[in-house]
Amino acid sequence: MIRRLATDLLLAGPAALAVVLFIFLPVAVVFVLAFTDYLVGAPTAEWVGLENFEELFGSRLGRNALINTLIYSAVVIPSSVILGLLVALGLHGITKRMPRVSAVLRTVYFLPVAATLVAMAVAWQMLMHPSLGLLNHWIAALGLTPQQWLTDRGLVLYSLAAIGIWQGVGYNMVLFLAGLSAIQPTLYDAATIDGAEHGWSRFWCVTWPMLGPTTLFVVIVTAANAFRVFETVATMTDGGPAFASDTIVYALYREGFVYFKAGYASAITVVFFAALLLLTALQIALVERKVHYR
Amino acid sequence: MKRLLLTAGLVLAAGSAAAETEIRVHYAIPTIWAETQEALAEAFMEANPDITITIDGPAEGYAEGVQRLLRESVAGTAPDVAYVGLNRWRILEDRGLTQPLDGFMPEDPAAAGYTPALLSLGQFEDTQHSLGTSASTLVMYVNPDLVEQAGGSMDDFPTTFDGIIELAAAIDALGDTIEGVWIHRHDWRFQSLLGSHGGRPMTADESDITFDDDAGLSAAALYQRFASEGGMSSMSQDDARQAFPAGTLGIMFESSSLLTRFVEGAGDGFDVTVRALPVVADDPSTVYFPTGGSGIVLLTDDAERQQAAWDYIAFVTGPEGQRIIVENTGYAPANSIVLDDEAYLGAYYAANENARVAHSQVAQYAGPWYAYPGAEGVAVTDLIAAALVEVTEGADVEGTISTLADDLRDRLDMQ
Repeated sequence: MIRRLATDLLLAGPAALAVVLFIFLPVAVVFVLAFTDYLVGAPTAEWVGLENFEELFGSRLGRNALINTLIYSAVVIPSSVILGLLVALGLHGITKRMPRVSAVLRTVYFLPVAATLVAMAVAWQMLMHPSLGLLNHWIAALGLTPQQWLTDRGLVLYSLAAIGIWQGVGYNMVLFLAGLSAIQPTLYDAATIDGAEHGWSRFWCVTWPMLGPTTLFVVIVTAANAFRVFETVATMTDGGPAFASDTIVYALYREGFVYFKAGYASAITVVFFAALLLLTALQIALVERKVHYR
Repeated sequence: MKRLLLTAGLVLAAGSAAAETEIRVHYAIPTIWAETQEALAEAFMEANPDITITIDGPAEGYAEGVQRLLRESVAGTAPDVAYVGLNRWRILEDRGLTQPLDGFMPEDPAAAGYTPALLSLGQFEDTQHSLGTSASTLVMYVNPDLVEQAGGSMDDFPTTFDGIIELAAAIDALGDTIEGVWIHRHDWRFQSLLGSHGGRPMTADESDITFDDDAGLSAAALYQRFASEGGMSSMSQDDARQAFPAGTLGIMFESSSLLTRFVEGAGDGFDVTVRALPVVADDPSTVYFPTGGSGIVLLTDDAERQQAAWDYIAFVTGPEGQRIIVENTGYAPANSIVLDDEAYLGAYYAANENARVAHSQVAQYAGPWYAYPGAEGVAVTDLIAAALVEVTEGADVEGTISTLADDLRDRLDMQ
C-alpha cells in the first residue's frame, strides 16, 4: 500500500510540482500585482486596490481596447465557423469521387494553420502595401479605389479580421471534417426512408444536429483564439494608427512590456483570464447538458 | 562570433597572468551592431591587456534590451556596462540603476571631444548618467529623379518647409502610385520639427509641458499641411521604408541612421540624396534636433570594476572607438574630435557626401531626445503619436494639441 502510494507520488509528483511552481505560483503573483502600481524593475510598489480595473473599464484607451476586441471577435467568430463548415462540407462531399483533389485542397486550407503567423503577417503586409501591394493593384485594375488597408483607422480592424478568418478557416475545416466522418451512414439511410432525400433536408435533419458537439467546440476554440489576437497586431500595426487596432492582449503587452506598468498589465491579465475561464466553463456546462444525444 | 570566441580565448590564454578584471557588456540590435561590438572589444583589449571584455548575447531591440536589464538588475545579474537607446537610459536612471559618470570625466571634457551638446544627450539634473556612443537626427531623404520629373532641381532644392510642401505637391501629382512626402507620426519626429522652430517639449526642470506654444502649434500644423497641401498619405512606417527605396516616394523625413539601408535598397534605381532639415527659428541658437542612437551607461557599483568599465567607456566614446562605430554602422559620431580631425574619418567623408551632411547636422544641433518623466513617460509618447494622426487627418491643430498637452500634464502629475 505504502509502496504503491510512493510509486504514484513519484509518477505524478514532479509534474504536479512543476505545474504549481511554474503556473499556479506565477498566476497567484499576477493576481496580487493586479492590485498594485508596480513598475518593472521598481524597488517598491503601492497597494492601489481596484484602481487598475477602474482604469481598464473606465479610461478611453482601456475601453477602446475592449471594444476593438469585441468587434474583431464579432467578425471573426461567425465568419470563420461558417466558412470552415462550408469548406468541410464541400471537401467531404468530393472525397469519394475525387480523393486526390480533396486531399490537396485539405492541405491548402490547412497551410495557414501550420505556417507561423508572424511570418505570414509579413507576407500579408506586403500584399496590403498601399502603393506596392498586390491587393491594391488588383483593385485598381478593377477600376475601384485603392485602400490604405492597415493605416486607415476605419478599416484596419477589418483588415486584421480578414487575416484572422483566413487563419481560422483551415483549423475549423479539419475539426468539422472529423465531425462529419463520425456521422454514421445509417442515419442518412434512415433519413432517406423518412423522406429526407436531398441536400438541405438531409443537412438540416441529420448533419447539423449530429455536428452539434463539434460546432460547439469549434465556436469555443475560435472565440478563444479571436479574443487572444496578438501576433498580427504586433507585427503589422502596433495597435495603430492612433490605437485603432489596439486589442486587449496587445494592450496587455504594451502596458507591461513597453510602458513597464506591470501592475496595470496584471489587472488586464486577470480580466482576460476570467473571460477565458468563463468561456471554458460555458463549454463544459453546455457539452454536458445540451449537445450530446444519448 | 567565431572570431569573438577566438579572441576571447586568446586573451584569456595570453592574459591569464595579467587579466584581472572582466567587464560584461550588454548591447542591442545585433543586425546593426554585432560586428562593430566585436571590433570595439578587440581593439580595446589590445590596448588594455589587463581587462577582458565579455559581450552578453544581444537583445533584439532597445526596448527589449531595457526590459532585460531591468530583469537582470532585479535578479542581481546585471552587466557592468550597457548600450541603451538614447531615449531609454532615463528608465534605468529613474530606478537608480545608472552610476554617475561625473567622477570619471576628464578635467576639460571639450578637449576630449565631449562638447556640451553631446554631453547633454546623457545628462539629467546636472549629472552625467550616460555618454552618447552613436547619434542620428532627422534628415530629408530625397529621390532626385522624382524631383526633376516634377520640375524641381537638386541644385535649387528648397530649404524652407513652404518650398518643400510645394515641391512635394508637384511630385505627388506625377502619378497615382507616386507619393510626394512622408513623415512618421511619432514623438521623435514631432520633437525634431518642434526643435527646428526653436521650441521644446518641456521646461528644463520637467515641471510643465511646453509644446502647446506657437512653436509646437506650427510644428503640428506642418503635419496637417504635409497631408492637405503636399498630398501625404497615411502609410505606415514599414510601408514608407519600402516605398522610398522602391522609388515611389519623393521626400522622406527619416532618421539619418537609415542611410546605408536606403542606399542599398535603392541600388541602381536612383541616387539617394540626403538634405539637412530646414531650420525655421529666426535665432539658430535656439534650434536643437533630438538625437536618436545609443548611449552607454555604467551599471556596476563595485569601485574596482567601475574603473575598468570607465576605461572601456572612455575608449568607445573616444575618437578611436568612434571611428570604428562610424565606419561600421554609418551612425554619426558622438565625439567632436573625429569630426574635426581629418586623420580619423577624412577619407570616409570624402567618399560619403550624404554622411557628411547628416553628421554635420548632428554636430551643429544635437540635443537631448526628451523622455517624459515618471511611470507614464513611455505611455504618453503613444498619445502624442495618436494626436498627430488626428491632426494629419484634419483635426483642429490648436484644439488637438492643447488637449494633448493637458492630458499629458494630468498623466505626468505636472499640475
